[in-house]
Amino acid sequence: MSWPKLDRRKAALVAARDLRDAVSELRLIAAMIALTLAIPLAAGSGVRALAYFGGGTAVVNRLSLVGAFFVVFIPASFSLVLALESFVGERERTTLEVLLSTPLREAEIYAGKVLAVLSVSLTLCYGGLIVYCLVTFPGLGYFPIVILLALAVSTICQVAAMVAGAVIISLNARTMRAANVMASFIILPMSVVLQLEAALILLGRADLLWGFALLMILIAVVLLRMGLTGFSREALLARDVGLRRPLRRAAEALRSSFATRPGIVRLIWSRRTPMVLAAAGFPAGAVIGYVAGSTSAVPRAVVRPVLSSLVRSAGQGNPVESAIAIFSHNLLAFLLVAILAIVTAGLSGFLLTFAPGFLLGFAAAFSSWGLALTGIVPNGLVEIPAAIVAGGLAIQIGAAAIHMDATGGWSSRVLAAVADYVRALRWLVPALAVAALLEVWLG
Amino acid sequence: MLEVDGLAKRYGEVLALRDLTVRVDEGSCLVLLGRNGAGKTTALRCMAGVLLPSAGTVTVDGVDAADDPTAVRAKVGLMPEVPGLYERMSVRAYLDHFGAIYDVEPAIRRQRIEELLEVFELTDAGDRWLGTYSKGMRQKVALIRATLHRPRLVLADEPTSALDPDSARRAWVYLKDLQKEGCALVICTHSMEEAEHLAGDIGIMSAGRALAIGSMAELRRRSGLATRREVRELPTLQDIYLAIVGNHHDELAETRSA
Repeated sequence: MSWPKLDRRKAALVAARDLRDAVSELRLIAAMIALTLAIPLAAGSGVRALAYFGGGTAVVNRLSLVGAFFVVFIPASFSLVLALESFVGERERTTLEVLLSTPLREAEIYAGKVLAVLSVSLTLCYGGLIVYCLVTFPGLGYFPIVILLALAVSTICQVAAMVAGAVIISLNARTMRAANVMASFIILPMSVVLQLEAALILLGRADLLWGFALLMILIAVVLLRMGLTGFSREALLARDVGLRRPLRRAAEALRSSFATRPGIVRLIWSRRTPMVLAAAGFPAGAVIGYVAGSTSAVPRAVVRPVLSSLVRSAGQGNPVESAIAIFSHNLLAFLLVAILAIVTAGLSGFLLTFAPGFLLGFAAAFSSWGLALTGIVPNGLVEIPAAIVAGGLAIQIGAAAIHMDATGGWSSRVLAAVADYVRALRWLVPALAVAALLEVWLG
Repeated sequence: MLEVDGLAKRYGEVLALRDLTVRVDEGSCLVLLGRNGAGKTTALRCMAGVLLPSAGTVTVDGVDAADDPTAVRAKVGLMPEVPGLYERMSVRAYLDHFGAIYDVEPAIRRQRIEELLEVFELTDAGDRWLGTYSKGMRQKVALIRATLHRPRLVLADEPTSALDPDSARRAWVYLKDLQKEGCALVICTHSMEEAEHLAGDIGIMSAGRALAIGSMAELRRRSGLATRREVRELPTLQDIYLAIVGNHHDELAETRSA
């Protein structure tokens, strides 16, 4: 993976122009500053009032951190508006075409625009955070600098991820209206991340926030790289013509995706890298599960109900009903994994093998490996290979979804990967049925 | 200056341009005529190094557009059909920004900007935001932007479509002056008057193909109008254009019915 040539002076020219454009819209700036100041002041005052009127120390401390996350998230979400304006807005107004006709390289335009949006958004985020800290923490006897640093790092990445997401949207949306609709695909996952972060703080596990910060770094790097690859003259200008007759093109792409797909053996061989990844998920999960169980890194109370419900579900009702229930449960898991693969970049495919491995390892930590393995034999001999194939193909779907090509063709690549998965169900569904029967009558 | 050989451009399943071969020497002008969707804009984008050819070659001043599109774009001034100006910038700041992108020295670009604003009668409006400009004024700014860096090749897509007759003539004079300085021009237009005024060679395009390329006299001969029609005056370019495109459509219709 090599980074393209980039003249910093040229990128700075683009950034300066965009920055000037962003700050010349007084109504937008006024709204952003008002919210950046109003929300920190309100949130900080609320926390202080709670402390003053006798809120418990633990509650006040945790709420002060949750407040910091919300204070940062609101201006961070503005980065999406600014980025959409910078990429899709320029495309809609045809000013991007003019920029693309100059000697500027795509990387210079991309870097300049990203830099401009980051500058505005991070100024607002950190400005808001500083105001909030000044209002909230003096005299509180609590100043969690390490956690706030994790917040600062994850904010940069959140903003960068949203900007990169806007670039990817700009490749698929020609109007701001379409872009705004598509923006929910970025805002919603980001708000889920925020809620998870808030939940961790409220549960008293703020130390795990660095994990989130690392995850955001990874997501931001992947998305920025995708944006850079996709941001090409060919994709931006040529696709305008290529988008004619969308329904006919979609039908044609679907037809060609399902035509001439390979048989199961050739399919597994042609997708061997994701298959290996999926196969590695099971032993990796088992080892990590065992370590987590034996060191109590994950509390037993969290995993025990899952293990108990799995044991109960296998032994309940008459054998036919049990077999149908197990088969339905596994089939649903396989289908969900494929659907989620697009939005999780294939992570769901890895989890399909990792999660059972983790539970096995955790159970082994409770008892012994021999006892734990009796729980998955003989059905696991069919189920696990099926999960590896399904997981590998789901990883392939995720890889297709995050792979951007300068010449476009995203939908046909994803459709081809989905077609592989759907065709593989011809072998996977019978395998799951056999596994369910084995589990009920021989398990 | 510009050599295009067997140029084709495909967008997915759409073949927008096929087998275009033209040559434009220093100080000469090629005018491309054709109805909307004929492939003129795609041809200009490929000649400007903005889009890469699917087949064939484009060479500008000895540089192959596929090998070094950045260098080609530096030698070319492209004026798209839609001016695409930044609304919240004054024309001076706007032109200065693009001058900097093309690496024109600050003092030289300031001088050139003032000269060209004078030529196009925009000096007094030079500090107004572009958002307040009329359609014609925007087109003038786009033409100045495309030529500010003194490109070796100017590619203009309908450069005077929004201009009043007086301003259009002023723009033609300006383009002729560029030609005299050795700049090659490729102009796409629907205005026959503009084509007759500027063209050395004329290319007539339809459905992504060049039906005919040549001088006015060659096209006249090729259209057959001079021998088929009993007219006292020579046929105009409008007559020639309609005859050539009409023949092509008759051929297409015959092919389809066969």
